[in-house]
Amino acid sequence: MDALIEDLKTKIISTLNLQRVKRAEIKPDDPIFGTGLGLDSIDALELVAMLESEYGILVQERAVADKAFASIRALAEFVSTHRK
Amino acid sequence: MPARSPVITGTGMISAAGGTRLEVWDSIRAGKSGLGPLTLFPSSRYGSHLVGQIRQDVDRLTVGVRGSRTDKLAWLAAAEALRCAFPDAAGGNTLRNLLKSGAPPPERRGVMLGSTVGGMLGTEEFVRRLLRDQKRRFGVLRFHECAGATERCADLIGARGPCGTVSTACSAGAQAIALAGRMIAEGEADFVLAGGSDSLSRLTLNGFGSLLLLDPTGCRPFDARRAGISLGEGAGMLVLEAEETALARGARVLARLAGWGASCDAHHATAPHPEGRGALSAMQRALDHAGLTPAQISFVSAHGTGTPDNDSMEAKALRLLFEDHLPPVGSVMRFFGHTLAASGALKAVLCVQALQEQHIPASLGCEEPDPTLNLQPVRHFEARNLSHLLSNSFGFGGNNVALIFSRAETAGGSADLPADPCKAADVPVLFSPTRIIRSSGEVSRRERQTTLSTSQAARSVSTPHRFAVVGAGVVSAAGNSLAEVFAAFQKDEASPALFEMPQGSPPARIRACACADFGAERLIAAAKLRRMSRFQQMALVAAMQSVSAEMLASVPSDRVCVSIGTGLGALIDTAAFVENLVLKDERAPRPACFTNSVHNALASQVALEWGFTGMNSTSVHREICFEASLWQGAGELVSRGADLALVGAADELSPYTLAAGLRWGWWTDATTQATSPASKPPLAPRLIPGEGATVFALARDTTFAPALAWVSGIHMGYGTQLRNGELDADREALWIRDTLAQDGETMADLDLILTGANGWEPLDRAYEEVAKALARLADREIPVASYKPWCGEHHSASGFGFLTAIGLVRGEIPITHCGIGGNLAASAGRPCRKVLLYTLAPSGAKAMCCVWPERIPDPPS
Repeated sequence: MDALIEDLKTKIISTLNLQRVKRAEIKPDDPIFGTGLGLDSIDALELVAMLESEYGILVQERAVADKAFASIRALAEFVSTHRK
Repeated sequence: MPARSPVITGTGMISAAGGTRLEVWDSIRAGKSGLGPLTLFPSSRYGSHLVGQIRQDVDRLTVGVRGSRTDKLAWLAAAEALRCAFPDAAGGNTLRNLLKSGAPPPERRGVMLGSTVGGMLGTEEFVRRLLRDQKRRFGVLRFHECAGATERCADLIGARGPCGTVSTACSAGAQAIALAGRMIAEGEADFVLAGGSDSLSRLTLNGFGSLLLLDPTGCRPFDARRAGISLGEGAGMLVLEAEETALARGARVLARLAGWGASCDAHHATAPHPEGRGALSAMQRALDHAGLTPAQISFVSAHGTGTPDNDSMEAKALRLLFEDHLPPVGSVMRFFGHTLAASGALKAVLCVQALQEQHIPASLGCEEPDPTLNLQPVRHFEARNLSHLLSNSFGFGGNNVALIFSRAETAGGSADLPADPCKAADVPVLFSPTRIIRSSGEVSRRERQTTLSTSQAARSVSTPHRFAVVGAGVVSAAGNSLAEVFAAFQKDEASPALFEMPQGSPPARIRACACADFGAERLIAAAKLRRMSRFQQMALVAAMQSVSAEMLASVPSDRVCVSIGTGLGALIDTAAFVENLVLKDERAPRPACFTNSVHNALASQVALEWGFTGMNSTSVHREICFEASLWQGAGELVSRGADLALVGAADELSPYTLAAGLRWGWWTDATTQATSPASKPPLAPRLIPGEGATVFALARDTTFAPALAWVSGIHMGYGTQLRNGELDADREALWIRDTLAQDGETMADLDLILTGANGWEPLDRAYEEVAKALARLADREIPVASYKPWCGEHHSASGFGFLTAIGLVRGEIPITHCGIGGNLAASAGRPCRKVLLYTLAPSGAKAMCCVWPERIPDPPS
């Protein structure tokens, strides 16, 4: 799980072009949205596209996305449950 | 009420709910949705979604009309609107004669349309063939631009007056109608086709899909279970006329365009302000403009897309405006889907129909009204006593427009309307463009008189307008500030460099005016920068230079409007999105690329930076997109909708435009050929591609800042036959002289004609011929020059022309500099105090304005 969490951090940083953010700054249990990262709804949808291209997970409802993006740890659990 | 009242004398529409307005009205009366399966193109992901696809064979209905599906839809709606405006016409020829004898002269006819998709459907097919089959069929790219729809409609009515295209996402159709209303109110035209058109496309379907904004089962506006939009396609068109000229020709007045209001949320790139701040402001401005109170509104045709966010914020804004006296509210989206730029125009046509029939449409799809919205949408098609209707349109970027339509008071205006004989199936090609022979001699006496009397009629209603340029910003190959550009001129360094095509593109080295590092990383906050497209960054950096802290402190943010145009938009992001659709079969489309692909992302990004909530608009009309933006910003200053206008234009180089230009022989590959052969001097040595952004701060006077220069005589037109390699130079010269006369100006004090000559021989020759004809009219030699040698060829280049003109009148740019092409040796050392910036587009669009170093005296009244 820890490897997946680190992997997700790297992918989030590259997908959202967060060049000035270090991996260590993203805490596994902090909310991904509504924190100092300054992300918005389009970023959430960019991550939806990332889940599909990287893990083959198709998210088609906003409510599902909101739950999955509660924190990096929640996202890692979501990915490990749904990945193909 | 506007100064000169715009009235509606004809309407036409085509949509999934019917091919004409009467067919659509029948569907509305029957409560029948036109949504159905998608068959226009295959879609692995959204193939099972309900969409508003037009079922008629559009190509068969428009034989002889060359253009994209969007262009053809616009043409069909326009043809129907003309039939409606000239009900006595039995066939094509009769209509042509009626238009000739009854309608105002060509110079007083205009077109203003909104479109966001343009020819994207064809461009997608081009990309698919290119990437999958290595077939390079560049021809279809000629129909890529949104302006094609406007031009096909202009050809239909033989318009030579102001023609423009706006792309403010889903409010574009309404924005176009508001601008057309202004054209009439300000006396710039008497007869205007106004509306919007958009076809379905893979880009928009997958784009809205990537934003999770599509409801597969069809949209349910204001319903508790609403889950998104249904994408649709269509076109809606109004014939707007000045009341006096409409009545003079005996036209029936169907309704009035009583008022309009526009605003910007300045909140987010796509999401509306959650409390409906911008929506409320647009509605209030429209009511103020019409001189009405909320209590006088008898029906609200809501934007009502069916997305959770839109409907919730719109309901809040309506409650804030109407408080406890909310009139009936309805959304027609379920009948034909969300047709993007056409949406506001379709609603306008239906508002006119509702006023005539005194019935309101049901809010189809709303079965369980959302209790949290606190409004009861209209459930059934019902009779009402209707006087004033409010129609809302909101777009990405928080671009909001509200229109008010009022019942025609004129007796017999509506009740005795005969059934419309027009069926889409038998609309003939009425007006094919006539060939005009290039004239080199004296213009005929008859024509001179006709044009003169036209201008005299116009002068009585048009007031002279002068504007102070109080700030300027630029991102260019020659420098990234006004001072840098002027210094480059002084040092003789304003010339193009070699540009390497990016990896993955056809290998080529092309001499281009490409922007190097323009400081985006230093100037734009990282959180914003990470998602901005390159040309958005250029425009924002230019905008930052154009405003000063003092200016920002002295003008309230709701008194600032932003009107920044683009010819081709965010090409790199748009291509990335479309390539992804083709290569990955619609897997994981990138939403940020889609939201950047929307043309008005540029202007709304600038508004967002400072919270400017005045009107926000994006002109996309070919090579005059800069002047059209200037015209819109200046118009907002005249109507006192704003005290400061940021106007400008931006375009970026892309592998696609470079490759198309190579293919069409515009420029050459420096790897295979050392230098391209210089075409005929003197205006511009050779065609070179370019890119960049210019933004200017415009004000009515120098209250906020001293003026860099002054501008007057901002006008647009259409109808040259340059695309056929022909131009009636005498007619052009008369247009320039007479249009300037409307602003009380003469050509006696003109020191220079600054053109967009670019080395393409037909264009350069056209400029030279017009300059000669102007010299004949003025009875003296007027020097002619070009700015293209230093900024290159791109659709926003005339912004650089404007900047060059400022440099010239301020004495910062030497008139004989090598960066200025032209035979100017004789002008060396002479002062340059008045420059005419004149732009011709190969498609037939044209524009002009005059730049002066100081306040221009008002003409004697």
